Amino acid sequence: MLENFIAGSAALFGDPFTVAIFVFGVIGGMLFGAIPGVSMLTLAAILLPFTSDLEPAQGVMLFAVIYCTGTYGGAITAILFNIPGAPENAPTAFDGYPMTKQGRAGKAVGAAVLCSAIGGISSALVMMAATEPLAKWAIRNIGPPEIFALVFFGLAVASSVGGRTIWKGWLSVLLGLMVATIGQDPVGGIERYNFGFADLAAGIAFVPAILGFFAVSEIFVQAEKKVTGKYDAPPVGMSFPTILELWRYKIAVVRSILVGFFCGILPGIGATLAAFMGYGEAVRWSKDKKSFGKGNMEGVISSETANNAATGAAMIPLLALGLPGGALTAMMVAVFQMHDLEPGPLVFYNSPDLIWIVFAAMFYANLSILIIGVMETKTIMYLLKVPFQFLAPMILLLASIGSYIGRGLVLDVVVMFVAGILGFLLRRSGYSIPGIVLGIILGKIGEQNFAQGMQMVHYDLVTYFSRPICTLLILAGVLTLGFSIYQAFQGIKQKSPAS
Amino acid sequence: MGKLDRSHIIEAGVWFLFFIVFFIASFEFNQPIEIYKFGATGWPRTILLLLLLVMFGNMAYAYYQGHALQQGRVGIADDEAEKTSYDRATFLRVVTALGVPFLYAISLKPVGFYAATPFFIAAIAFIFGEHKLKNILLVTLFIYMIIMIIFMVILNAPLPQGNTSPFYDFSAFMLRMNTKWQQLELW
Repeated sequence: MLENFIAGSAALFGDPFTVAIFVFGVIGGMLFGAIPGVSMLTLAAILLPFTSDLEPAQGVMLFAVIYCTGTYGGAITAILFNIPGAPENAPTAFDGYPMTKQGRAGKAVGAAVLCSAIGGISSALVMMAATEPLAKWAIRNIGPPEIFALVFFGLAVASSVGGRTIWKGWLSVLLGLMVATIGQDPVGGIERYNFGFADLAAGIAFVPAILGFFAVSEIFVQAEKKVTGKYDAPPVGMSFPTILELWRYKIAVVRSILVGFFCGILPGIGATLAAFMGYGEAVRWSKDKKSFGKGNMEGVISSETANNAATGAAMIPLLALGLPGGALTAMMVAVFQMHDLEPGPLVFYNSPDLIWIVFAAMFYANLSILIIGVMETKTIMYLLKVPFQFLAPMILLLASIGSYIGRGLVLDVVVMFVAGILGFLLRRSGYSIPGIVLGIILGKIGEQNFAQGMQMVHYDLVTYFSRPICTLLILAGVLTLGFSIYQAFQGIKQKSPAS
Repeated sequence: MGKLDRSHIIEAGVWFLFFIVFFIASFEFNQPIEIYKFGATGWPRTILLLLLLVMFGNMAYAYYQGHALQQGRVGIADDEAEKTSYDRATFLRVVTALGVPFLYAISLKPVGFYAATPFFIAAIAFIFGEHKLKNILLVTLFIYMIIMIIFMVILNAPLPQGNTSPFYDFSAFMLRMNTKWQQLELW
């Protein structure tokens, strides 16, 4: 492994053009991740056509680097503006944004920098050491029933965070799942719910939906505060956390690495579910559950460690099985195909150079988060000082461009603003925006894997539940749900707006 | 009625309407799929049924607990739970703030990004609290230039050009200028 890693590093740093692409990917991913309104996906969508002019290794490496640094960059907007740069940063906002409002933005961002780097580096190391054996294990043990079970468990966890009650949490998730059914059914390709709009046949793209529900709705919430005279610019706190402060959360970091890595290696799941489950587990094991959502640094640490730990792991199903774990890894498949390559087990034998350049680049990209992240973040934090009436049009414009560029459809911009208005109204009523978004993302994956799983076991539920991993995950989901419903009928919290 | 109030009834009504509309619409694609027993409607109808059940759970909770926050919930920011009541003028301003971006989105197809964007920037800056004309003009110019430099000049990103005159002509003019600029080969 070490020899391959050194060879990959030498190939990466031996060619000035490859180094330039690496540096562009690192800075571009961080910037696009950290600018509210656009995300790493916007950058990736713009760059995709240009990768045909690059060497295959350079093209795939560029996207892998953007994936690592963009996942971290999205945490900055989640913390500073309550606008996650990507869905995997949504749980970061739960505690990161309250920390900003308390003048502790520096602490939250510092924790995100360090934990993103730790999660990413650990994941890159495990990926280098264990891609092949893990891929073999996944092929043997993980099938559609297990993936569906994990989706169910993930949605159960998502329903228990964000909404004012378990019912509103589930209504949010179910709304997201319904939105995901718009388009075509994943088995027979039959058009569903297009309501006469031809463009809807391709379904609701999740980038506009995410931007609408998170970025636009947040702008509307702040606009409402401006109009009603309740707007307070958050104080800018620049003090970063000390190593001693972060050392207290070592167990949360290790736990989140494990959760992130496990979610990452499962095809189709990716970093989003990892972040939600990392956050959910942090709450589950905490002695002070009530402090979550009110500025508990452990929430930021758990979510950011888990989502970056998933980035390395997500490369395993991509490279070993040819199955992308999310939108950006799906674009990587496109890069492979543009160069007449197919990701899959044969890549390890046919193009080992490519694999190790990508592995080395991901390792160094995560390392660079530590160095460049701190410098860049301090600059970006000054965005908080820009008056809202000047920042808002910029964010809305960037979000419009980000929505449009993916598919070149004006409908996507309309969908984004509709999602923004809907998100604004639902947030006021206590619904969970992350729940809706996770429903949209996991809906298609869940349906597809449920259908495949049922076909696999010939619709026999006994056979379905004879698979131990599947049963365990479904049971965990049911227990999570049951516990939340039990809590719903327990004593009410005294401090409520109506009581 | 327990602790139910008008907002709970409206909320339940909206969800029920959602259920009805999507359930009826599901008959349009109610076709069997040879290789899949549950067909194209199996999954969405199951979700709709669950949605109906959860809606009743939501109503039951509201009946007993009203608007109270459920114990043990996490990830709820304080401002999301705030209820704001408006007077008529404030309500209109909030509706305008929500409506202008939506109008901008709809205008992109006929007017195009290049022509609609300056008006959008100025309108948002005004609605969101900037009332000095000089500041609005300066900010509009600054943001428009930044966006054009990044997405048109550097990244060559394809943006909506509009399909009605004179807006389409303006977009074509902008793109021609960009092509000429690129041909200068300054770098």
